[in-house]
Amino acid sequence: MINFDSAAPVRLKGVGDGFWITLDPSHSEEVLKSEIDKLFGNLKHLAINASVVIDVGDAKGHDDLLERLKSYLINTFEISKVSRPPEKRSIPTERIRQRDLSKGWNHHRSDVLMLRGIVRSGQKIESRKHIIIMGDVNPGSEISAGGDIIVLGRLAGKVHAGFPEDESSIIFALEFRPTLVRIGKTTASGIDEEVRIKPEYACVENNAIIVKDYMKTNPFRKMPWPEAI
Amino acid sequence: MEGKVIVVTSGKGGVGKTTATSSIGAALALEGKRVAIVDMDIGLRNLDVVMGLENRIVFNIVDVVLGKCKISQAAIRDRRIENLFLIPASQSDNKDVLSSAGVERVANELRKEFDYVIMDSPAGIERGFQNAVVGANEAIVICTPDVSSVRDADRVIGILYSRSLTPKLVVNRIEPARVERGEMLSYEDVLEVLSIELLGLVPMDEHVLISSNTGTPLVLQNDSKAGHAFKRIARRLNGEADLPIEVPTHKNSMWKKISKTLGFK
Ligand SMILES: Nc1ncnc2c1ncn2[C@@H]1O[C@H](COP(=O)(O)OP(=O)(O)OP(=O)(O)O)[C@@H](O)[C@H]1O
Ligand SMILES: [Mg+2]
Repeated sequence: MINFDSAAPVRLKGVGDGFWITLDPSHSEEVLKSEIDKLFGNLKHLAINASVVIDVGDAKGHDDLLERLKSYLINTFEISKVSRPPEKRSIPTERIRQRDLSKGWNHHRSDVLMLRGIVRSGQKIESRKHIIIMGDVNPGSEISAGGDIIVLGRLAGKVHAGFPEDESSIIFALEFRPTLVRIGKTTASGIDEEVRIKPEYACVENNAIIVKDYMKTNPFRKMPWPEAI
Repeated sequence: MEGKVIVVTSGKGGVGKTTATSSIGAALALEGKRVAIVDMDIGLRNLDVVMGLENRIVFNIVDVVLGKCKISQAAIRDRRIENLFLIPASQSDNKDVLSSAGVERVANELRKEFDYVIMDSPAGIERGFQNAVVGANEAIVICTPDVSSVRDADRVIGILYSRSLTPKLVVNRIEPARVERGEMLSYEDVLEVLSIELLGLVPMDEHVLISSNTGTPLVLQNDSKAGHAFKRIARRLNGEADLPIEVPTHKNSMWKKISKTLGFK
């Protein structure tokens, strides 16, 4: 993480009945301790029995360092309680998160093979990526993908998603009537039911392939925000 | 202006390529065009039989491609229809005697002398089929309303597209009564899978057999429904793209319609 503002390694402010220390954990422990010494030395008896919050901003980890600083504060300055900031994110942090997220898909190199047109009998489409087909997949054709298979049209050929063994892959079609379905190592053959034209997808559950109504059991509704794949 | 070379294909055998080639060729000639029908089903020739020209054969398409004779020597003039010519296949050679380059050259020569060159191709997608396709600039795919024929037609359509040909479809041997009873795919079912431009729908018709057994062109039999359908296909090919497609109907359903308009129950 690049830090553009050259703030002091340790900053201190009073909050309610205690103190809030903002520190930059990229500095060495010695530097941080001597900065803390300076600041709390000035506070003198005001620090006794006070409660202190240590905030490291967006930095992750450093639990060991923080534990040592916590004991140091308690033993040296008779602080009563040292804690971390509450989990609830402040608004500026939320904004940073959003910015990072959009950067995430701006720089994402696609793992999707996207085709349009009809896949006809005798044609075979293979990819180690996900495959999206805008068009129909006719009987007698074959699609094999390392990941998911999405068909924006009628799917009536042979399909293998998650090749060779990724059973978390799905197969989606606006009209789902393949002759043979494989996901990872699990196989099922198409059933000759009356034709239901509705968006459906197949996934593996308990070692069996299950076909579900996409609008009723959209598997991605669980995901809180969009993620590049 | 140069003519068009149209190849007639199907993938599956016995679906009506030869019937369609001779009928569409004859119908285009009746429209006043100069037409050559070329039998590319080398080793299994039968266009000459269907057209009743068997005993007039001297040279064939293999002779033309190998440079043993001129096109004019191999082209047999039809007995009944003016401007209609047949270049027969060879019965004895096998299909490997022709090179793609040779066929392409002859196709280009034919294009200069005729308005339409219609090539009948063998079933399958092997060498003989490839040779029939190589010189073509248009393609007609014939299929019947059954699952295996549609599957093969789909395969052939894919191959034709890969050769930069945009195929058009003829659905042959439609039996309206069976379609109505749900025993046969409807032409809509076929189109749903193949999704290419439809040229025409041809009903099952006993005149087809009579015609090929007697060597009389189907399109000259006025009461032949299949002949009528092929005539409309020829007109559609020959610039009348807006000519409506006629859907073959079952006699009874015609009566139903009429009795409804007359107010009968
Ligand atoms: N519309 C039709 N109604 C009735 N019979 C038909 C019709 N079309 C074709 N037939 C019959 O079907 C048989 C096969 O037709 P045809 O020889 O034209 O097919 P093909 O595709 O050229 O076959 P091949 O692949 O063997 O060359 C013939 O006996 C023909 O008379
Ligand atoms: Mg034939």
